[in-house]
Amino acid sequence: MQPVIETQELCKVYGQRRAVDGVELHVPEGCVYGFIGPNGAGKSTTMKMLLGLVHPTAGRVCLLGQPMTERNRLALLRQTGSLIESPSGYPHLTGEENLQVVADLKGVPRKDIDRVLEIVDLAGDRRRKVGQYSLGMRQRLGIAMALLGSPRLLILDEPTNGLDPAGIQEMRDLLVHMPERTGATVFVSSHLLGEMEQMAEQVGIIDHGKMLFEGPLQALQRHSRGNYRLRVLQPQKAVPALQARGVPARLEKGALTLPPLPDAALAAAVQAVADAGAGVVELTAHTKSLEEIFLSLTQTREVK
Amino acid sequence: MFLRCFRAENRKLHASPIWILFFLLPVISAVYGTFNYLQNLGILQDQWYSLWTQHTLFYALFFYPVLVGVYAAYLWRLEHRGHNWNLILAAPVRPLALFLAKYVVVLKLVLLTQLLVFGLYVLCGKAFAHLPGWPPVQTLLFLLRGLVGGQCVIALQLLLSMLIRSFAVPVFLGLAGGVAGMLCASKGIGLAFPYALMQVGMNANKSEDLLAGQYGGFLLASALWLALFLALAHLLLTRRDVRA
Repeated sequence: MQPVIETQELCKVYGQRRAVDGVELHVPEGCVYGFIGPNGAGKSTTMKMLLGLVHPTAGRVCLLGQPMTERNRLALLRQTGSLIESPSGYPHLTGEENLQVVADLKGVPRKDIDRVLEIVDLAGDRRRKVGQYSLGMRQRLGIAMALLGSPRLLILDEPTNGLDPAGIQEMRDLLVHMPERTGATVFVSSHLLGEMEQMAEQVGIIDHGKMLFEGPLQALQRHSRGNYRLRVLQPQKAVPALQARGVPARLEKGALTLPPLPDAALAAAVQAVADAGAGVVELTAHTKSLEEIFLSLTQTREVK
Repeated sequence: MFLRCFRAENRKLHASPIWILFFLLPVISAVYGTFNYLQNLGILQDQWYSLWTQHTLFYALFFYPVLVGVYAAYLWRLEHRGHNWNLILAAPVRPLALFLAKYVVVLKLVLLTQLLVFGLYVLCGKAFAHLPGWPPVQTLLFLLRGLVGGQCVIALQLLLSMLIRSFAVPVFLGLAGGVAGMLCASKGIGLAFPYALMQVGMNANKSEDLLAGQYGGFLLASALWLALFLALAHLLLTRRDVRA
């Protein structure tokens, strides 16, 4: 399938600093793509280059199957909705007036405003001034602006930034259903891996301007698999049982720590511990933090 | 495309605080001008023409550049605040169309301001100065010329406010430009400086026609300045990275 976003050797240099360094993105159509990296990794700069807001030092951007040029930029933007460094908007105008401004700029009929207000659940607050909106409402207004005109591609920069847990949950629900609901491909950035695990099918990881990983979420989760913590009633019975199976176990704070294991091996190990009469109480999987995954990804790269 | 941008810009003016200034500055200017006229009846003997000089002296010198400066600064402030630069430049419109829309919106505001200034001039002339008859038609022409010369100031102030994120600095530069314009106009090189074009157009502070026989040069200078500022705006908007 033709990728909706494709970049080749995309670079942006500010003075001596390579903010974006040879980034290659491949975003398939109809998915939610999570673009993950710590703050300052080059996510916003990359997204601005996709929209032509920032001019690349080197490299190419292809949107919707066409290389972006000065000539076709407006035609491509017409099919793209974006929210960069949110939230935008004019605080002295109402939510509806803000959408009218954007609808006029995009050349979209005003009646589309009702549709997007419904999608982001702001229809009840359309006549309130945006200055009185909460941060979550302003973020949703930003999404509504991006959705005007039913674009084929949505580029959203940290749409959950600054939201409370309930707001994050709402935003996640909104985005995860976007492809089936509107047919749009969603390219969304975040500095939290955990957040992306619940909405993205494809992920790209960027750090210090370089791509560390790109692919399906499951492939990444292999990297993120951490140790297991096994709590038993009688650890002294469990340790020999595990050692007999060749599973190295450490006793820490009253519980055993097991290394990452394939599912079948893990099940067999737990069975052995139970058979030894240790009394299995709790098994928890420890997921690596984004920093730890970065570390493991950079290490694998060096090994390659 | 331009019309879409223009409609969007007009929408942004809704419920905006600049309307207070829109009424306030011309009224101050008219009160001051009428007061000055009534205090100096001994020297100011050209009736409607004299009242015109007093009304437009401070308007063209201080209030007009400040007012245009504020209009321009306000329109760009809307984009500087929040992250609206990203919003407008990621819209499928040519950047110059965005600039032109702001230019026409300020032009519209200035036209309304000029009409208000004229209305106040007539009102003050009849009600306070008790002048006979109606003001000469020529004063309306001065007003129109002021707009032709003044539109260069609009383009320049929009350019300044686009580049300078501060609200006050471009307005202050406009004020300084107005004073410098007066110096240029009094040295006879008014056509070479945009702020002075407005003042010679308005025939501020002079009873005789400042532009007699110079219309060609005046119109040409106004058009050239406008073309220069639009070209600069286009270059800056397309070549520079957006920093929101």
